Amino acid sequence: MTAISPEIAFPTKRQRSRSLSVTATLAGRRFALTSRTPRELLVPLLTPVLFALVIAPALKKALHTSASYESYVAVGTIGLLIPLNTMFSGLSVLVDQESGARRELLAAPIHRALLVAGNLVVALATTALQVGVLLGFAVLRRIHFHLTGTGLLWFLAVALLFTVAMYGIAETLAARVPRSEEYIARLPAIAIVPWFLAGSLFPVTSLPLVLAWIARFLPLTHALALMRWGLLHDSSGLHNVWRSSNTTATASLSLAVVAVFALVLTAVSVRVFKRAAVQ
Amino acid sequence: MTTMELQHEKPRDVAEPYDGLAIEVRALTKTYSDGVDAVKAIDFDVERGEVFGLLGPNGAGKSTTIGMLTTTLSPTSGTALLAGLDVAREPVAARQMSSVVFQDPVVDRSFTGRRNLALHARLWGVAADEAAARIAEIAAAFDIADILDRPVSGYSGGQRRRLEIARALVSDPQVLFLDEPTVGLDPRIRHELLDVIAGLRAAGEVTILLTTHYLDEAERLCDRVAIMHAGRIVALGTPSALRMSMGAELLEVRVDGDAQSALDVMLARGIAGDEAFAVGSTVTIPLRGRPAADAIAAVHEIGIPATAVSARPPTLDDVYLRLTGEKGLS
Repeated sequence: MTAISPEIAFPTKRQRSRSLSVTATLAGRRFALTSRTPRELLVPLLTPVLFALVIAPALKKALHTSASYESYVAVGTIGLLIPLNTMFSGLSVLVDQESGARRELLAAPIHRALLVAGNLVVALATTALQVGVLLGFAVLRRIHFHLTGTGLLWFLAVALLFTVAMYGIAETLAARVPRSEEYIARLPAIAIVPWFLAGSLFPVTSLPLVLAWIARFLPLTHALALMRWGLLHDSSGLHNVWRSSNTTATASLSLAVVAVFALVLTAVSVRVFKRAAVQ
Repeated sequence: MTTMELQHEKPRDVAEPYDGLAIEVRALTKTYSDGVDAVKAIDFDVERGEVFGLLGPNGAGKSTTIGMLTTTLSPTSGTALLAGLDVAREPVAARQMSSVVFQDPVVDRSFTGRRNLALHARLWGVAADEAAARIAEIAAAFDIADILDRPVSGYSGGQRRRLEIARALVSDPQVLFLDEPTVGLDPRIRHELLDVIAGLRAAGEVTILLTTHYLDEAERLCDRVAIMHAGRIVALGTPSALRMSMGAELLEVRVDGDAQSALDVMLARGIAGDEAFAVGSTVTIPLRGRPAADAIAAVHEIGIPATAVSARPPTLDDVYLRLTGEKGLS
């Protein structure tokens, strides 16, 4: 058995308390900065709201589909909202680096992973706010959801994990590119292209075979299938991905896929941030 | 002392009082990923309460050195201790000992000055009641109390700089890093800031490592200076000792034409020695006890196109110019 070195000790209660306090301080700072730039909250919301409230009803009318298509697209637009909002949150990290107090934070006696954690907390809060607004508008537009307590839990779990995963990508990109222009240039490829492939507007089985297989490896495909199961009680997305009729098993598998992405991408983002901080 | 001797057996408890050197640097080296050797095995110590200046032209390695000492750059090799704490092995504890005022503005502009100070206090773990008292005390001392509740975006350059120095002091650091703190400021604000830093020096409560290429700043503020050039420390001592290394008197010859050619002639004729140097249209020659009148006569005899010849005591500029070959901003 390997002995634990005395230097590698588990954090004490005081250290954990200090970490929480620091994360709260950093999140408070980030939230205050975000609230001073309303574009960070409003711009990511515009396109999804447009899709849910204007384009989906128009498509329903033009394609003579049923009312359930509006619900289908309304949930699908959450898959656009989360990547857009998290990527915009990453942009604010770059702005902080270019003209804010980032270097002061790097010189502070805190573990640098907490800087990422503080930003993530705010990305989660703003995403929750925006998803709430989107769903609120959808309900006002008389778009129907089939909501149960269990379904809501599935939805919240996958939305949380998918937001964490996407914020990992945003933070990683912000640490890797030197300027906001380069960051923005990469945004469509990360936030928008996967949305068209992941079953947002139509089932992945409608895609050509190769693209349908690629879609099955996208975390967004799993996230949307699970969101629809949670909010609409529609398991067709899960069935299309896993080709199984055991909904609980496929929902668990899709949640696990998104959780793995969240874990790996967060770990990568912290590592990349810490390395970039000393270069 | 060797690099190995500096390394402690186990991490020091930061709560323990430490009466050793404020900064100990041994063989500190930084090579960037593109192969540029920014800092090449430098060594220096800074005593507690001392104001230590790093001088050098742009690209000399000053900011890279501060970056390594503040753990915002990782050293390629070598050791640096802040209050006995190894910046590479105990970075969080080392950062607890220090604060930095960066060369560029590093503030949250949309926040008030008070909020910037309070944020620093919280991140450095200063208790809330202690922070409030300290902010009030420092704001009064730095003459920013009246503007503290205004957004920093409305501050003048001098007010913002004073705020940044005040912020660095809120956590009562043992070591304060000032990276070219007066760059880009107008002369009046610059002199105000120099008074602030001189006040800190007089109080003697904090060790200051200051980088600058303004030689008058270094001469006025620093107990000792190290001159850096191309990543190395090429001279280290008190400003007066460095001045005296040039002797008691210099001959300055302004020429109409190429000063280097004039220097070559003077070297060939034995009027100038190895310490002489040419910058722009001026040749500077340490006299080393030789009567100034004799040297001036010798310059006139060889017939170089001199427009002015004079003798004067050396300044820190002369030391800097001789060692770096570049003009400082005095």
